[in-house]
Amino acid sequence: MAEVKQAVVDTAEETALPRVYEVGYHIKPTVKEDDIEKILGGVRSIIEKAGGSFIAEGAPALMRLAYPMEVREGEKNVEYDRGHFGWLKFESSTEGARVLEAALKRSADFVRFIVFRTVREDTRAKFKAPTLREVKRTDTLKAVTRREEPAAVPVSEEDLEKALKDLTIE
Amino acid sequence: MSNNILTQNDIRHVDYKDVDLLKQFINPHGRIVSRNRSGLTAKQQRAVEAAVKRARFMGLLPYIQK
Repeated sequence: MAEVKQAVVDTAEETALPRVYEVGYHIKPTVKEDDIEKILGGVRSIIEKAGGSFIAEGAPALMRLAYPMEVREGEKNVEYDRGHFGWLKFESSTEGARVLEAALKRSADFVRFIVFRTVREDTRAKFKAPTLREVKRTDTLKAVTRREEPAAVPVSEEDLEKALKDLTIE
Repeated sequence: MSNNILTQNDIRHVDYKDVDLLKQFINPHGRIVSRNRSGLTAKQQRAVEAAVKRARFMGLLPYIQK
């Protein structure tokens, strides 16, 4: 009997081992900016209650979704094409992650969420997408200085007529 | 010279939120490119695959693109 009890304790200890998780979520765009902080506070309190601790966080920001998502609201499906996307990295037991997932599923404030295991280190890559073309020009254009044209000299009527006559005679 | 973007940029972890990075591994239709084209190791390819699928689920990347 004592052995069986020991086995139960072992598995319980295993599930209590802290693991690093990340939760990513889209809060509905219809939620007001002031209420977002309240919803986030609720998420944080769930994690804290389950004995978890926070590692990193990305504040929610409104963004366009790559495709419209349908959410069941009461009797009908509502389509969302944007959401306040944020994420939270935390350390907790497997039980903590399960509790959080169940709570998010019940909540009506989220379009969609994802909870998965990750690593403690910062996983965001410092990657700059290559631009289409980076060609260095060697044949740079030189500014051409304009020659100043001589100022027009006023021509008298007689000179003009004389010149015209010369032209017509030829 | 290999065209392994992850090794060239010394990227150890692939995050589903790095849309600019993940876009290097999908074709214009939104499909994940094969290892032949991505030039990644098997382990890296699996990590990229998981990240792209998470990004698609969360609406950061499309499932299909015309």
